[in-house]
Amino acid sequence: MIPAAFDYSRPQTLEEAVNLLAQHGEAAKLLAGGHSLIPALKLRLAQPKTVIDIGRIADLSYIREQDGRIVVGAMTTHHAIETSALLEEKCPLLPEVARHIGDVQVRNRGTLAGSIVHADPAADWPAAILALDAEMETVGPDGPRVIAAKKFFVDLFQTALRSDEILREIRFPVTAKSVAYVKTVQRASGFAIAGVAVVVDAPRMTVSVGITGVAAKAYRATAVETKLAGQSLSAENMAAAAAKAANRVEPLGDIHASSEYRAHLAQLNTRRALVLAASRA
Amino acid sequence: MIIQGTHTIAAAPAHVFDRLMEPAFLQQAIPGCEKLEKTGEDEYIAHLKLGIGSIKGSYAGKVRLTDRQPPHKFTMHLQGSGGPGFVKGTSAIELKAEGEATELHYSANVQVGGLIAAVGSRVIEAVAKKLAGEFFLKFSAIVEHDVKPER
Amino acid sequence: MKSGTSNGYFGQALKRVEDPRLIKGIATYVDDLRLPGLLHAAILRSPHAHARILGVKTEAAKNLPGVAGVFTGTDINPACGLVPCASSMPGLKAPRHTMLAGDRVYFVGHPVVVVVAASPAIARDALDLIEVDYDSLPAVTNPEKALEKDSPLTHPDQGTNVAFTWLLANGDVDGLFAQADRVIKQRIVHQRLTPMAIEPRGCVASYHAGEGSLTLWTSTQIPHLLRTLLPGVIGVAENKIRIITPEVGGGFGSKLDLYVEEAMCSHLAMRLGSPVKWIEGRRENAMSTIHGRDQIGDYELAVKNDGTVLAIKARTIADIGSYLQLLTPTIPTLTGLMICGCYKLKAVRFELTGVYTNKMATDAYRGAGRPEATYAIERLMDLAAAELGLDPAKIRQKNFPKPGEFPFQTATGLMYDSGNYQRALKKAQELARWDALLRQREQARQAGRLFGIGLSTYVEICGLGPSKIMAAGGWEWGCVRLEMSGKVTVITGTTPHGQGQETSFAQIVGDRLGVPMEDIVVLRGDTASAHYGRDTYGSRATAVGGTALIMSVDKIIAKAKILAGALLGASAKKIDFRNGRFWVKGKPKNAIDWKRLGQEAYEAKNLPANLEPGLEASSFFEPKNCTYPFGTHIVAVEVERETGDVKIVKYVAVDDCGPQVNPLLVEGQVQGGIAHSLGQVLFERTVYDENGQLLTGEFTDYPMPRARDIPEYVIGSTVTPSPSNPMGVKGVGEAGTIGANPAIANAVMDALAPLGIRHLDLPLLPEKLWRAIEEKTAGRKMKKPRSQS
Ligand SMILES: Cc1cc2nc3c(=O)[nH]c(=O)nc-3n(C[C@H](O)[C@H](O)[C@H](O)COP(=O)(O)OP(=O)(O)OC[C@H]3O[C@@H](n4cnc5c(N)ncnc54)[C@H](O)[C@@H]3O)c2cc1C
Repeated sequence: MIPAAFDYSRPQTLEEAVNLLAQHGEAAKLLAGGHSLIPALKLRLAQPKTVIDIGRIADLSYIREQDGRIVVGAMTTHHAIETSALLEEKCPLLPEVARHIGDVQVRNRGTLAGSIVHADPAADWPAAILALDAEMETVGPDGPRVIAAKKFFVDLFQTALRSDEILREIRFPVTAKSVAYVKTVQRASGFAIAGVAVVVDAPRMTVSVGITGVAAKAYRATAVETKLAGQSLSAENMAAAAAKAANRVEPLGDIHASSEYRAHLAQLNTRRALVLAASRA
Repeated sequence: MIIQGTHTIAAAPAHVFDRLMEPAFLQQAIPGCEKLEKTGEDEYIAHLKLGIGSIKGSYAGKVRLTDRQPPHKFTMHLQGSGGPGFVKGTSAIELKAEGEATELHYSANVQVGGLIAAVGSRVIEAVAKKLAGEFFLKFSAIVEHDVKPER
Repeated sequence: MKSGTSNGYFGQALKRVEDPRLIKGIATYVDDLRLPGLLHAAILRSPHAHARILGVKTEAAKNLPGVAGVFTGTDINPACGLVPCASSMPGLKAPRHTMLAGDRVYFVGHPVVVVVAASPAIARDALDLIEVDYDSLPAVTNPEKALEKDSPLTHPDQGTNVAFTWLLANGDVDGLFAQADRVIKQRIVHQRLTPMAIEPRGCVASYHAGEGSLTLWTSTQIPHLLRTLLPGVIGVAENKIRIITPEVGGGFGSKLDLYVEEAMCSHLAMRLGSPVKWIEGRRENAMSTIHGRDQIGDYELAVKNDGTVLAIKARTIADIGSYLQLLTPTIPTLTGLMICGCYKLKAVRFELTGVYTNKMATDAYRGAGRPEATYAIERLMDLAAAELGLDPAKIRQKNFPKPGEFPFQTATGLMYDSGNYQRALKKAQELARWDALLRQREQARQAGRLFGIGLSTYVEICGLGPSKIMAAGGWEWGCVRLEMSGKVTVITGTTPHGQGQETSFAQIVGDRLGVPMEDIVVLRGDTASAHYGRDTYGSRATAVGGTALIMSVDKIIAKAKILAGALLGASAKKIDFRNGRFWVKGKPKNAIDWKRLGQEAYEAKNLPANLEPGLEASSFFEPKNCTYPFGTHIVAVEVERETGDVKIVKYVAVDDCGPQVNPLLVEGQVQGGIAHSLGQVLFERTVYDENGQLLTGEFTDYPMPRARDIPEYVIGSTVTPSPSNPMGVKGVGEAGTIGANPAIANAVMDALAPLGIRHLDLPLLPEKLWRAIEEKTAGRKMKKPRSQS
């Protein structure tokens, strides 16, 4: 459990970090909270030549309301999100999801940006990112770029972020309280076997559903959303819609849950999350 | 682990079969393939650099073809190893004419070992399918345009 | 406890004296050791379950700056002996268990090359520079298929996958089965488990070339057994070896072995002339420290319609992995010996086949063979009760020996020392509010919920044991020394590593000597101070090791009376002793204390003729019998239909381990044991895939019970002293694990019983339950998922 040797640099500004990344290219890795990268380094699954620690860059950790949106800085930890009064009020899905991540130590170090860039197919955040239609703002040699949630998660452990880009900020809409996250944990790792994030937009009579842990990448359960669009959120309607939660995906199967059970949990947790979110309306 | 799939390639079986026997074409199509050399009748060595997210590894391996029945089928045996573990597998590949095109079916029995088996069990199947998918996508494109890749 | 003196420590729930240093992080573990010139070893292990080694290239590794040596099997094996197995099973086939792999590897994790370097990082880097050319071979992973004619062989040179067969047959089994009204049959799979001590293994070996002596610090349960065994492997005489066990972060049986790494580091320290340290990583721990359980049994119980059980038959296969560790073959035989449980069965036949597979060896893991026995018989009792329409508590009561029937001879030939199984059951039922619980179940069932109650009445074997049944002595040694200052040093030959005997032994000795605990130090785990010992396993330390201390205390008191008599001008017979004071009968005012005696004993100016100086005594205690703790666990669970999740609603444990030296320690042991069981019953399992790859090699894939999984326990006890030792104590280190498995499992199966589900094997994973429920309720035939082996 000893990483291969690497160079370490600790830029003070984002610009400096972008330059370092451009300079080292694929041979470099950004280090945020380290809770995904360091295990990979210790197993030598990742052997970057250079590690660029962005943890000391001033002002990458913030949660603000800005122009009617909620903006969260890349280095914001799960814990900061979990305990934010602003989010509790304006975007309550985020603290709810944060509470499901790992344990206190993990939440104290791990960051929102690190988690979504790592794009573990069983991480919790991607469900919320999708359900909330978040936007990711990156910076790179060619300046800033905004990536929509639907385009962000490309495949397992793979995002639309380019290797010379840094994720700087994640933006969320302000929502009502009618949101929920229901997760079945993989007992050993604590990650999701099936995690379902639901946002109910009561005035517009729409729901959006993000599902993680079930397939090779987190996805929007569009079949569920379509079925419920414009419908009343009756128990029967929600159950019927939830039954479509694993449509058109190939659920993963492993020693912790077969693909059949994962699909079942996707449906069950979708129903439960819908019911919970609707009850909070 | 059994991985199977079917892909349709817009070219006749004989043509597809020929191309599958040519290292230069294959190297282009195989994800992360840095080197593919013929070392004997139906035998090759390969060097691959594969990365899934931050998990990258270099693999060296041998490929052997048996049961070659052009243009219908062949069997491919693969054995490779690298930092994160080893891969070993046998794949039966069958080609069938579907009008102008070829329907290619593969069924591979793949065994992975070492670190990748230990820490990757939950995603190995997905990774394998993804790699196979990438291969056939590229391979089809190359065969369909039939441009000999530059080496 | 009868004793001339008492501080009343015995029976007090005192906090552990060892805890502050552990909690503050100022305890010393093996990895904390720093020696001048220390080199670090790292081991390259096989990624294959079975392969031929065609070649090993070590040049690049050797050339890495900082590397002191790179060694393969060819370099090391000829210079060392084999890893020993202490089982004397007749007909046992034992493959040569060399330090490093020879021309083949037999399991994932098999050591192939060892690197020694100036730092752990360099050693690890060097591993990446080694190239091993493997030709992978078919692996044997299924122990039942391994017995088929055309199966590949784990060790082709052995010609068979059968390691041994063992038969325990007593009484007229066939006759009794013929008399039976019913035969209850069940096949039970006892899954493989990984002990996962929080501190992996590790050792530091240092050789003094001038003295020709070797010191080995190692995280083990058995420093003394190691000193006995190591000479045969490394060629240093027993009296030139010192084994030191610093703090040990958990053993649970997994550190009750002589491991390759301990011997190899010792050898390398001699060879290189520098001390060598090796610290195991978590993945290494999961793949190359012994595993537990892994038996498959077909059990049959002959019963009468009134619930009387007559006889039991079992055909079992033990998947023991690819090599024999210290007690590998013995463990499943303990299952056979304990298969009668608490019941008056008249006959038994237990056929056991040990099978080699390409996996890590199995050996003792918390409970070691007994949990399998208890689980099997307690499941059978429940199945019998269900088939006969009897109350599970009543069928058990009906078949218990009566308290007056002890010592009770079992059909397997054991002599249960003492017991009152009825009392423990009754107390557990009271604590569980049995009738209310039954009503609660009734209500829940009427509401369509899956609520179940489970019961287990268990007996286990502890206090190992009479030397005639042990491989190399079952006695224990202990020494008590009154220092010149009046302080007391206690040295035990047991090796507590979390059990708390630094506290409980001080309680025992403090009471008997009449000395405050603060003045007592308990030394353990160093063969230079504890000259002899048989260490800690099988819940033996207090019953056997504690008794050796009592014997020593009594010798000191006897000698002190002579000395006190001389000082007070009376004969020893006239001396009274209580609360640490000695006086001439009738003159308590004129008493002398230990402090004075210590001074006199060592200054030795006023000793009577023929009295040796000093106040120190050591003793060997040889137990005449083992001890047989017992108890009843009652569990209530609720199963969630839609997910298969199990929630423990109530947990009641009543354990009888005889008189309790320290109830807090007893409770801690019971709680820890139950947590182990909870893991085994609900989610733990070691998974090898069909090619012998280990899929549960990290905490990300091997689920351990966590604080949030642990229910509120209701813990009670009864006290039935053992006649096997003067304190009457029995042992409690494994009781929780042994009693809890069947109680939890029976509760879950009871919850599912209304659906017509009869038995499911452990672990009772949510998916497994969900599938069983779906099949029964939705009538849906589920295909067996590949991943749920
Ligand atoms: C014991 C444990 C339990 C856990 N349990 C859970 C769980 O239940 N649910 C869950 O979702 N997660 C869980 N995690 C993962 C945890 O949430 C990680 O913290 C998170 O996945 C990564 O965030 P990080 O800040 O630690 O990123 P790092 O590990 O530092 O980085 C992760 C990856 O993202 C890249 N990166 C980081 N920041 C940026 C950026 N701003 N721009 C571009 N690239 C960047 C890095 O280069 C690296 O490739 C657990 C982790 C551990 C160790």
